[in-house]
Amino acid sequence: MTTAPAPDTTGDSSLVVAAREGDRAAFGGLYARYARMVHGILLARVPANDVDDLVQDVFLRALPRLCDLRDATRFGPWLAAITRNRANDYYRQMRAVAAVTESLPEDEAELPASNTAPDSEAVMILAFVRSLPDAYRETLILRLVEGMTGPEIAARTGLTPGSVRVNLHRGMQQLREKLSQASLGGTIHNDSSVSRNSTAQTKTLLNRRNQP
Amino acid sequence: MNDDYLWDGSGKPDPEIQKLENALARFRHEGQAPEFPAITATRQPRFWERFLPSHWSFGLAAAAATILFIAALGILRWGQKPNGASEPGWDVESIAGTPQVESTAFGKNAGSAKLGVGQTLVTDGHSKANISIADIGTVKVEPNTRLRLVAGGNGHNRLALDRGTIHAYIWAMPGEFTVDTPSAIAVDLGCSYTLQVDDSGAGLLRTKLGWVGFKLDGHEAFIPAGAVCATRPKFGPGTPYFDDASASFRDSLSKFDFAASTQEERSAELAKILAESRQRDALTVWHLLARADESDRGHVYDRLATLVPPPAEVTRDGILRLDQKMLDLWWNQLGLGDVSLWRTWERSWSPAKT
Repeated sequence: MTTAPAPDTTGDSSLVVAAREGDRAAFGGLYARYARMVHGILLARVPANDVDDLVQDVFLRALPRLCDLRDATRFGPWLAAITRNRANDYYRQMRAVAAVTESLPEDEAELPASNTAPDSEAVMILAFVRSLPDAYRETLILRLVEGMTGPEIAARTGLTPGSVRVNLHRGMQQLREKLSQASLGGTIHNDSSVSRNSTAQTKTLLNRRNQP
Repeated sequence: MNDDYLWDGSGKPDPEIQKLENALARFRHEGQAPEFPAITATRQPRFWERFLPSHWSFGLAAAAATILFIAALGILRWGQKPNGASEPGWDVESIAGTPQVESTAFGKNAGSAKLGVGQTLVTDGHSKANISIADIGTVKVEPNTRLRLVAGGNGHNRLALDRGTIHAYIWAMPGEFTVDTPSAIAVDLGCSYTLQVDDSGAGLLRTKLGWVGFKLDGHEAFIPAGAVCATRPKFGPGTPYFDDASASFRDSLSKFDFAASTQEERSAELAKILAESRQRDALTVWHLLARADESDRGHVYDRLATLVPPPAEVTRDGILRLDQKMLDLWWNQLGLGDVSLWRTWERSWSPAKT
């Protein structure tokens, strides 16, 4: 098997040290290295339309807290934890405006602005990925959406390569099953593991796709 | 199946994965780095630094700091606060009443107290508290609860729940947060859960999000969202079940797990459990493989194979001799999470010394 070399994270320490001293270029370097990871972790948890804003918010939160990071080589896992934390905050804040969002049609909540057929398909696939167990969806989004390789995901997030590989394999297996069920029609409606939102959205999208 | 392409893009491209990549590419991160504020990247000044003019000599600053330190120490001792703000520990706030850290009570207006390693937090019948753990999560403490902080930091965060109820909402890496109870250790695998312990040491864990591992002396239970698991002193974790299982199913399970019964009585309860098990109860039946007596294990195998057929690599003989790898492969087939998550983070969680 040919394995792509794991990304170099050894330079993180010097970037972290420089960023702590106020070097904006160094923090920009960290952003360049980790923005996809942050984006992918968020996309696995919050509506796609809000992810870009939250990516910047995560970095802006991390910046003043760099001095709290004891081990500069653990920047990736530390940032991943902040990102998951931010996603949780997002939902805590959303509860305050739940009455407003609940009045929106479920199947329109995450649709892209231009609802062309390819976009709809992409939204449907993303909904399926996000319906997978936690262990799989984050890793699978980093691989399929953000284009990161398995070794890169492991190096950036701090997970072991073995765990990432298993998550990718099992996640892909479950995703294939869900896509297969959807293409056959029907059975997806009985799948309780699909979130309420995703199910409703997928139903609608599938119906639209099947219309002449 | 060769998954080299999925793993690192090498090998023969998988057309299905390529199609997914192409479809999902529209969600990919494309943003440019924002203009980060330079000033906020510098180290935040320590509390005492804010009071020292920048032109002071180092010696003068050190002397001033020493005086401030001694004064602060005196104030802290005199005030008998639960912990000083500068001490390490987890922040604890009162939500209701006056919880106590060690012997010192604090109310809602007292700000946050610190729960240090080795210290005890107690709530009475009228008080509640909230523990905030940076980058780990939060723990809400219900009335009539007593818990201790056993370890904190460096990826090893551990509470001991002697009695009462806590709600843990954890976003740390799996395995970094554990709770000891008198009869099992709860290992967070990325989730939200409620854990109760009564005065006898019996416990009940209910998972709301993600999943939790429950373990004692090699006896383990995996508890996914929507499932419940009881634990008893001397027995350890029982068999997890989904909370919508019927009363008779749960009753038989409780007798099977914890009643002082003969082998015949256990076999009879097991037969009831298997007969009543639904598709969703594959969670319970899988756990029964390791809990059933050897003479009954074949029945458990047959029932689980009906509910969720085993993967090709799993054999009946292997399961009957409790081959761990085969048990794990079959678990993964249940669609409740990948057991490698547990195996990867599993450590020797021995009960905490008290």
